[in-house]
Amino acid sequence: MSAEFTLCLVVVFLLAALGAPVAIAMIVGAIAYLAASGQDVALAGEQIIQGVYNSFILLAVPLFIVAANIMNAGSISERLLNFCVAIVGHLRGGLGHVNVVSSLIFSGMSGSAVADAAGVGKVVIEMMTKDGRYKPGYAAALTAASATIGPIIPPSIPMVIYALVSGASVGYLFIAGLVPGVLMGIVLMVMNRIQSTRLNAVMEKKVPLRELPGITWRAFPTLMMPAILLYGIYGGVTTPTEAAAVAASYALFLAAVVYRSISWAELVVVFRQSAVSSASVGLVISAALIFNYIVATENIPTQIAGLLATWDLSTFQFLMAVNVIFLLLGCLLDATTVILVIVPLLVPACRELGVDLIHFGVIAVVNLMIGLITPPYGVLLFVINGTTKIPLASIIKEVVPFIGVLLVALVVMTAFPDLVLFLPRVFGYAG
Amino acid sequence: MTKILNWMKGMADNIAAGILAVMALTFVLQIISRYVLADPLGWTVELLLTLWLWLVFWAGAFCVKDSDHIRFDVLYIATPSKVQRIFAVIASVVIVVGFVYSFLPTIDYITFYKIKKSAIMKIRLDYVFSIYGVFIIAIVVRYSWRAIAYIYPPTYKKITDEEHYT
Repeated sequence: MSAEFTLCLVVVFLLAALGAPVAIAMIVGAIAYLAASGQDVALAGEQIIQGVYNSFILLAVPLFIVAANIMNAGSISERLLNFCVAIVGHLRGGLGHVNVVSSLIFSGMSGSAVADAAGVGKVVIEMMTKDGRYKPGYAAALTAASATIGPIIPPSIPMVIYALVSGASVGYLFIAGLVPGVLMGIVLMVMNRIQSTRLNAVMEKKVPLRELPGITWRAFPTLMMPAILLYGIYGGVTTPTEAAAVAASYALFLAAVVYRSISWAELVVVFRQSAVSSASVGLVISAALIFNYIVATENIPTQIAGLLATWDLSTFQFLMAVNVIFLLLGCLLDATTVILVIVPLLVPACRELGVDLIHFGVIAVVNLMIGLITPPYGVLLFVINGTTKIPLASIIKEVVPFIGVLLVALVVMTAFPDLVLFLPRVFGYAG
Repeated sequence: MTKILNWMKGMADNIAAGILAVMALTFVLQIISRYVLADPLGWTVELLLTLWLWLVFWAGAFCVKDSDHIRFDVLYIATPSKVQRIFAVIASVVIVVGFVYSFLPTIDYITFYKIKKSAIMKIRLDYVFSIYGVFIIAIVVRYSWRAIAYIYPPTYKKITDEEHYT
């Protein structure tokens, strides 16, 4: 590692630790590197501008954000929940199961865990805590845990970003997340069932069979959304990027025309907020582009690959080591930043060891999503704490068992690549 | 003064929202033209990429507040507010120095593109890329202002916790 690169890292970490935005810290670090190594400092601007201007795949990010915000502003989440209550509410652990199942379905429409937790998650917490049915901490913890499924089941913003830095196909990545996402849902429901005996949780009244068609009918247009998106992508109608626009348009159609639940003023607010979130993600991505350019000129990924090759790890050992690294990083850092900065360091090593890049991508994203609910830096815990005012300490106490079962699911996915790669192969993936 | 600033911020937000709305419409147009009309439009992709570039740096310059940014602020939040002030001043000064240092070479790079036009819509690329120059200026102004406001708190008597993030 050169002295210039050390300077670059010092500047980035110093600024970030002092509370500066990660994107700005990385740009200043890059400028410091270029200046110290006697290169043209305009290279920073060049990499950033060209990187954003040439990555068509990134256009999915702002539109997935719009889609999720429209669904949360319209009454789409509520209708979905009524449907879920009718299906699983009467089982032991009732509303807890409703929480997980609604997250599974919502995952098929949105690509962001934060949108899940802030939207459908907030409503389901209100339902779970009404009349003291569940302890607020438990409801919040389960909501945070089930929101991690959001970006695993397609569509997914983190997978789009992973595709950008790894060169893997977005279409195959999306479909590869389906089985792991359902697996995560199942382990959470099992844990909820076990816990509900301890909590002596209330079961909901069984919804009479004759009311079921009506409830399903009212939720039907919402339930169609995942199907439309999947058909769009895998039926060859849209690219995965364009599917984001379809999701946004369909959500708008539902909220404005079918349910008439969003006003013009609310829509303006949705677009303003989405623009700001898109830009803050876009800035980190663009800053990471110049940072990754520097990391590549310093030959660091090849050095890491060489080092790992001398250790003679099996692919399973390598992936387990990666799991540990990602989980630790996920406790401290933002998921987008880790994908953008750490993943490119490991991609050459994956190629060297024969690790499949789709398998690796799914595992990386699952890791980082679990990182969203691990303290001290767990974004989903903060979001739920912010929207519901349920104390962080009580959420953290209850979230531990759910982290445990999600880790079990992660190890299973790591050990059995076929679980992840089976579906992509059905759709023609050659890996 | 605050009134004018708020009005300008509102306008900037509306412009960003407008860019995003046009992006969504362009996408829909692209899908319809290719799949329904079987007559793909070439310019939609170029327009989308141009708008995306402008959205990121326009909103990055004028709309994204400190609290909206992705930050790693575990340490920052845990420190007492006096120390936070020092942190904020140091960070702001380093940021201003870095961005000022890169300003002229970057402007050189952008204006160099006056000889080139975009592939399909034939827009001069120095115009397309100019938003990054605007972004640099905005960052320099914002962080200079922030440093001054933290050094001379009397003008900013009520720096509450909330305002640390704005």
